[in-house]
Amino acid sequence: MNEMLTELGYTLGKIGFMLAVILGLLPAMIWAERKGAAYMQDRIGPNRASIGGIFRMGGLVHPIADVLKLVFKEDIVPAGVNRFFYHLAPFLVMVIALTTFAVIPFGDALYLGDKVIKLQVADLNVGVLYILAMTSLSVYGIVLAGWASNNKYSFLGGIRATSQMISYELNMGLAVMSLILATGTVRMDEMVQFQGHLLFGFLPAWGVVVQPLGFILFLVALFAETNRNPFDLPEGESELVSGYHTEYSSLKFALFFMAEYANMIVGAAIVSTLFFGGWQVPWLSTDLLRAHAGPLLTGSAIGATVLSFVFTAATWRHYERFRGRLGDRRELEPLILGILFFALGLATLGYVVFQKPWTIDSAMAAHFATVAQIGSFLLKTVFFAWLFIWVRWTLPRFRYDQLMRLGWTTMLPLALLNFFVTAGVVLLVNS
Amino acid sequence: MAYSVHGPKAVSGGAGARLRRGEAFYLVEIVRGMAITMRHLLYNMFHSSTMPTLEYPDERPEHGPWLRGRHRLMKREDGSPRCVACQMCATICPADCISILAQDDDRPDVEKSPESFEINLLRCVYCGMCVEACPCDAIRMDTGIFELAADSREAFIVDREFLLNNTTDGVNR
Amino acid sequence: MAKIIVDGKEHECEEGQNLFQAIKAAKGRPLPHFCYHPALPVAGVCRMCQVEIEGVPRPVIACNAQVKDGMEVRTETDRIADVVQQILNFHLLHHPVDCPVCDQAGECALQDQYMNYGLYEASVDVEDKIHKDKVKPIGELVMLDAERCVLCARCTRFTSEITKTHEMGIFNRGNHAEIDVAPGRTLDNNYSLNTVDLCPVGALTSRDFRFKRRVWWLENTPSVCAGCATGCNMTIDHSEGTVYRCRPRPNVEVNSYWMCDEGRLLYHRLHDEDRLRTPVVAAEEGPRTVDWDEAYARVQSLLTADGGETRRVAVIASAHATVEELHALGRFADGIGAAKIGYRLEGSEMGEADDLLVSADRTPNAEGARRLGWSQFLGEELRAQASSDTVLLVLKNDFAAFDENGVDLLSAYAGVVVLGTHQDATMDLADVGLPVLSYAESDGLFVNEKGRAQELHASIAGPESARHAVVVLAELGRLLGKEFGWEDPAALRRDLVATEAGWGALATGIDRTGVLLDVVSDGAAIGAESGSEGGGE
Ligand code: SF4
Ligand code: SF4
Ligand code: SF4
Ligand code: SF4
Ligand code: FES
Repeated sequence: MNEMLTELGYTLGKIGFMLAVILGLLPAMIWAERKGAAYMQDRIGPNRASIGGIFRMGGLVHPIADVLKLVFKEDIVPAGVNRFFYHLAPFLVMVIALTTFAVIPFGDALYLGDKVIKLQVADLNVGVLYILAMTSLSVYGIVLAGWASNNKYSFLGGIRATSQMISYELNMGLAVMSLILATGTVRMDEMVQFQGHLLFGFLPAWGVVVQPLGFILFLVALFAETNRNPFDLPEGESELVSGYHTEYSSLKFALFFMAEYANMIVGAAIVSTLFFGGWQVPWLSTDLLRAHAGPLLTGSAIGATVLSFVFTAATWRHYERFRGRLGDRRELEPLILGILFFALGLATLGYVVFQKPWTIDSAMAAHFATVAQIGSFLLKTVFFAWLFIWVRWTLPRFRYDQLMRLGWTTMLPLALLNFFVTAGVVLLVNS
Repeated sequence: MAYSVHGPKAVSGGAGARLRRGEAFYLVEIVRGMAITMRHLLYNMFHSSTMPTLEYPDERPEHGPWLRGRHRLMKREDGSPRCVACQMCATICPADCISILAQDDDRPDVEKSPESFEINLLRCVYCGMCVEACPCDAIRMDTGIFELAADSREAFIVDREFLLNNTTDGVNR
Repeated sequence: MAKIIVDGKEHECEEGQNLFQAIKAAKGRPLPHFCYHPALPVAGVCRMCQVEIEGVPRPVIACNAQVKDGMEVRTETDRIADVVQQILNFHLLHHPVDCPVCDQAGECALQDQYMNYGLYEASVDVEDKIHKDKVKPIGELVMLDAERCVLCARCTRFTSEITKTHEMGIFNRGNHAEIDVAPGRTLDNNYSLNTVDLCPVGALTSRDFRFKRRVWWLENTPSVCAGCATGCNMTIDHSEGTVYRCRPRPNVEVNSYWMCDEGRLLYHRLHDEDRLRTPVVAAEEGPRTVDWDEAYARVQSLLTADGGETRRVAVIASAHATVEELHALGRFADGIGAAKIGYRLEGSEMGEADDLLVSADRTPNAEGARRLGWSQFLGEELRAQASSDTVLLVLKNDFAAFDENGVDLLSAYAGVVVLGTHQDATMDLADVGLPVLSYAESDGLFVNEKGRAQELHASIAGPESARHAVVVLAELGRLLGKEFGWEDPAALRRDLVATEAGWGALATGIDRTGVLLDVVSDGAAIGAESGSEGGGE
């Protein structure tokens, strides 16, 4: 009984961690999208919203303001909608986006005393299939929204999402199957373990290395499944107003909006797990990490100290340069941030000097290894999430027939080819 | 029609535009495109102060004297409106947003003057036709005021006194 | 018959006809002119109507020439254009060009000619121009601006030849010649506003219309004056639901080009304070405004006797109502078996006739009422019908204003229902007052004293909740369980032409000048009444 309760507690903790990652990354993603787009287009981007008239954090306050605004906006339900599905759709989209995360391992096991906790919410024995299932489910929310809105544009958006999903699901499935053939498992944790090996003694056996074509196919299919540019046809505003969420407002619109980013984050996590070694730190297996925890930790702390002082200098310069331009409290922001960075630098410096991190014990070393792996996982995820944004602001949107052509006449043959070649190679190697 | 269902080859440019070998394999071009956007991003991250964006409410745009801003009514020497209520502006106005009531004026040199003169600034399209039409140079749009904000629709219907007291400094509301 | 050639095209006209008229007929538009007016003697002073006549060495003015067979005239040569331009320049030498403040702007002959023949450069500086009287009221209704005058002498010809009152004249000479009223006189005859219409420029303007509305915003609706039995044709100039002025509409058969001032100013009544804008019912503290449903409910209760049976109805028509309204009332009365008392209190609504237009009968449609079989009535007849079992229905008739016994007469009825346009003396005595559209707000016919039926057209919409009298009558019929089946005045006109004798002339439609109805010789009502009509002739 007690066992079960603690199990439950750990699981809840992991769920909480997972939610925190996604929901914490959400505003950052929105910020990165807007600010990144702006800088790519030689604009300044959001920089107005502030806390206390001082902190603008380069626009980071905007997502919060946006969400607040959306929460307090009038929730308009157009006449003639199918109320049940209309209200259900946005929740479906969001919930599916979040639950996909359950099978993704975000670290090696955590050792608490004699307890071993797998850093994965649900250790399914068919983890990869679960992911495939969930990603294809996510389109249901969109289709329902499009259909229940009783609006031709929404409806067309929903239909586009469906056909797009069907076309690309196939390629995605084939790419994943090639990977399964190569790694010989459908369990997520085993797949990550597999990628910890080194090929020929120097090359990490990442999915992208063993399945380069599979990776590209998978990535393209993922863009299509998450409805991100260049495949965001379901909400193509040039012809569909804004597609399936045309009729949504207020919090329900916010749900769609956030679900898109949640999907991106989940997608990024899947890509890094399947093809980029998940939580693996390249060339540093868990054992190596533990063994060399002392020097690594010291190095990181010193690095952090140096960075903090660099930031201090940068903010101070900024403060000096722009003093008197705005003529109000906003000018204080770099000064205050500079002081904070300086304090941070002092703290890490103090840590290095007084705590002597190169002397940590083995229990702490294990924790350090776990944190480093989680960090590695998050880093990869954030990179791929950024890739979504980067691609969006680089490429124009595909035309619908081009999308279909690409899916069926280019990617499908390639995926099949990849699958058979992989199967052949695996057969050869194993026999 | 130039429309074709045969893919990017036929529609990527004018007649005869063909993709070069290798361009049809999108990935290389995509990566090149991404390099361009990243270059812009990185450059702007370190040169944000040279971006052409105007920090609008903090920095005011400069504009030439040709800017058609909020209207003002010109005054005679005695401070009364120069306008003679001829209704030319109201007649030419494509937005139908000027309404003038004329009155007999007792002054010896003024026969007719506006009893009331209202412009609905919400309706106005700032075309400047009223200024062109005025035979008396009584209405001008040289105030430089181009911002409109109020908390009721009625507040945008401005009257004779308001228009007479608009000034040219561009900040007076 | 004579043939003339105008700008190379042949044209048929009368030998000896005025050449200006002949050219106008030939070209479809008049020559440039200020002084020529078909109803005034030729003056030939503005010199604008120059034409070249074959065989005549110099250009001549067309308004003072007569048509001769075979005459060949040219109106569009360079020479003519040059001459007209020079003459126009003379007219404009000392003109103040007040257009921004001038009420004539938009219908000014000077502006029009300038667009065609203007020199487009001023030859005299504003400072050097000769200044004359401005903003000078020369009469109750007319404002003079002598600077704008082009000395066409239309106004003086009108006051000397038409009204024969001789108030106006041209004084001084040359550049200083100036129009004015004769010393000690004011322009205050009953036709003074015609000078404003006549004046081709803004020298004479109406003080009534002054600065009210720019003319290009006015819509023009052809109509007929409701001021007297002459039935002068007029144009109602209105805009956005308000009538701003009325002007005579030429009809040689009726009013030539003129109209009296009284009739012109009648439009003010349309927008009066006491206009009835909603239904009213009598209450302790005076008339109370209600909606139509409540008003009809009140009518219903008036019509129902204590025992539950329906009361008798007696109706009074009016010479102010249109033919259609009167016909509707007649059919209504016949349909429910009501007593028809008459259209007018004998001897009321009469005034002085003058020798130009004004008729002694100050109602517009007495002839129409007579032709529809209505007669005049006396106070006694009204009393004779009175009983506590009868409801009186009055259509647009203010007879109470002419009979000081009105109160006693009406209180003897079980109830009084008035369909009217104003809160007048009769309406004050009504139990229920129902607002109806006036002559300016509805289509219809008036028959003038000479038996000419002329059309009215709806100009403005009228008060929001006012209804057309024929519609109200149809609804009252429905209250009494009677379906009449007319919806609008047009249906009634068709019915009238089809069912009544004497209206056949309307069958083929009716043009702007109206149609003369057949003389009706039979019919006792008509014979009996014609005597009282003679006063105005
Ligand atoms: S600027 Fe144009 S729209 Fe505005 S008042 Fe003048 S004429 Fe009218
Ligand atoms: S055009 Fe000029 S003078 Fe005429 S009404 Fe307008 S502002 Fe007044
Ligand atoms: S008379 Fe005619 S031209 Fe002269 S000021 Fe009046 S409108 Fe203008
Ligand atoms: S006042 Fe008018 S009508 Fe009379 S002479 Fe002058 S221009 Fe002609
Ligand atoms: S119209 Fe002929 S001279 Fe005036």
